[in-house]
Amino acid sequence: MVTAAARILAPTPAENSGEVEGIRLEVGDVSHAFAFEGKPLPVLNHVSFSAAPGEFVALLGPSGCGKSTLLRLVAGLDHPNTGRVTADGADIGTPDPSRILVFQDPTLYPWRTVEANVSLGLEARGILKAERHRVAQALALVGLSGFESAYPRQLSGGMAQRVALARALVNEPRLLLLDEPLGKLDSLTRITMQGELLKLWQRARFTALLVTHDVEEALFLAERVIVFSDRPARIAADVKVDVPYPRHRGDPRLAELRHHLLHLLGLDETW
Amino acid sequence: MSTALETLAARPRAAGRLPHLPLLGGAALWLAGAALTFALPDHNEGLTEIARTHELVVLQAGVGLLLAFAAIGLPWLGRVGRITAHWAPWLALGAAGLAAWELVTAKLGLLPLPFFAPPQGLLEVYLDDWPRLGISLWHSVKLLAWGYVIGAALGVLTGISIGWWQQASYWIHPVLRFIGPLPATAWLPIAFFAFPSSWSASVFLIALATGFPVTILTWSGIASVNKDYYDIARTLGASERFLVLKVAVPAALPHIFVGLFMGLGASFAVLVVAEMLGVKAGLGWYLSWAQGWAAYANMYAALLVMAVMCSSLITLLFRLRDRVLSWQKELVRW
Repeated sequence: MVTAAARILAPTPAENSGEVEGIRLEVGDVSHAFAFEGKPLPVLNHVSFSAAPGEFVALLGPSGCGKSTLLRLVAGLDHPNTGRVTADGADIGTPDPSRILVFQDPTLYPWRTVEANVSLGLEARGILKAERHRVAQALALVGLSGFESAYPRQLSGGMAQRVALARALVNEPRLLLLDEPLGKLDSLTRITMQGELLKLWQRARFTALLVTHDVEEALFLAERVIVFSDRPARIAADVKVDVPYPRHRGDPRLAELRHHLLHLLGLDETW
Repeated sequence: MSTALETLAARPRAAGRLPHLPLLGGAALWLAGAALTFALPDHNEGLTEIARTHELVVLQAGVGLLLAFAAIGLPWLGRVGRITAHWAPWLALGAAGLAAWELVTAKLGLLPLPFFAPPQGLLEVYLDDWPRLGISLWHSVKLLAWGYVIGAALGVLTGISIGWWQQASYWIHPVLRFIGPLPATAWLPIAFFAFPSSWSASVFLIALATGFPVTILTWSGIASVNKDYYDIARTLGASERFLVLKVAVPAALPHIFVGLFMGLGASFAVLVVAEMLGVKAGLGWYLSWAQGWAAYANMYAALLVMAVMCSSLITLLFRLRDRVLSWQKELVRW
C-alpha cells in the first residue's frame, strides 16, 4: 500500500488523469416491488433523493430493507416499477461501464488470474489492447502489484475485495455503487479498507453510493447519510455529516451523529 | 502420486552403495519366474500346442535384468528411476502373478486349454498377429474419435443453447428427456439400415451416446453459474456474446468435463457393440472374429489392447482437464 498511498498524497499531474467528473444522480419518487410467492412484495416506497457530482452518499438501513435493490436500479440491472432514475438528467435504462457495482462478495471469476479479472471491463468493451496499462495502474492503486498472476482462491478476503475494487476502478467509473463492499471482512481489515476507499474516492472524485448497515462506517466515509426505514423502504432521514476529512473515529461530533442515527433506526436504548 | 514420488526423491539412496531393495526383490521374482518357465516342462496334452515358451523366458529374464540394473543404478536414472521405484511393489506382484498364471495353465494344466490361454499364448498372438491387431486398434481409435468428437461438440453446443436460450430449451428439452435415456445401442438395428454404411451408422451411435451426458452436464453447468457473474460483466459493458463465451462457458467447464468423461465411457460401450455386430474392423470385430475361431488367446490379447486403449484415452482426457482447470484447487487424480 505504501506506493499507492504515497501517490495519493502527492499526485503528479500525469497521475491526475484518473480524475473524472462524477455523475449527478437523481432518484425521483421510485417505488418497486418483487413478485414473491405470487404476490407483490413492495421493497421501495416513494424514494427520492439526489447525489451531486463527486458526492459520497451512504444509504443506511436495516438489512433486507431494499437498499441493494435501489443500487441495482441505479446500475441499470433492473427497472423501477414507478418513478425515474436519471444520471446527469438521462434515464438509466441499461448497465453502463460509467456506473459500476461492487458487491459484498468480491465475485471474482475463479478461472481468471487477478490481472485477467481486473481486465474484464476493458476486454468486454474491446479496448484492452489499447488500454492495458490501466490494469497495472488499478492494481497499484489498491496495493496489489505483484499479484497479477495469482488466482482468486489464493487471495484472502481483503485482497479479493481489493481486486474487485480494482476491477471497478480500471473502468474509471463516474459513479461507484458499493453494496456493503466491506461487509464480510474482519473488523481490522475493514478499518484499513475504509481508509483506502476514502483515498480512492478523494483521488478520482467519482460519485459514490455506499449501501451499508454499519453506522460507524457510514459516518466515517460519507458526506451524507440517508437513513431508510424497514421494508418497504422509505427515506426516514437525510443527515449531513458536517465533519471535514480526514476524519477521526473518536471525534465527538461523529459520536453525536452516531447517537442520532441509532435513534433514527430505533436502536436508541443501545447507546 | 506426485507426493509419493517427492518423498522418494527427498531421500535419495546413497549413490552406488545400497541397491534399492524393493526393486531388487522385484528383479529376483522376475528372474525366478523365468527360471520356472524354463525349467518346468510344458503340459502339452490339450488340443492346442503350447509354443513361444522360450520367448516368454527371454521376456521374464529381460524384465528381471532391467529391474536389477535399475535397483543398482537408481541414483543415475532420474525421473524414470523414481517412477520405476514407485511401482516396484506392483512390478514384484506382476512377476508373481505371471508365474502363477504360467504354472496353472502351461505347466500344470490345472485350468483347461484352450479356454484359459497361457502367457506364452498371448505372447504368440502379439508376435505373430500384431499387424492385424494394430490395424484393428487403428480402426477402433479412428471410429471412436469421429463419433466422440462429433458427439462432444454437438453436446456442448446443445447444452449451451438450452442453458442460455429459453426458446432452445423449450424445443430441445422434451426431445432430450424422451430420447436421451434410451441406450444408444437400442438404435443399432435401425441405424445399420438407415445409414449408408455400418461405419457411418456407428459414428452416429457413438456420437449419440457421447452427446447425451455431455449435453446434460453442459446444460446443468450453464444453469448453475453464479448469477452475480453475469451482473458483474453486464455492468462492465459486456455483450451477450461475451457473457456466453467468456462467462458462462468457462464457469461451466468443470461440469462440461464431467460430461466429457461420462460420454467417453458411454462411447467405449457403443464402440465395442457396434464393432462386434456391424463394422468389419476394429478391436470389437477382432474379439468376435477370434471367438468365431475359438482363438481364445487372441481374445485375451485383444481385450488387453482394448483396456490399454480405453485407459489411455481417459488419462488423456484427465490430463487435458488438469491443464484447462488448473485454477481449481482440488482435482480428482486419475
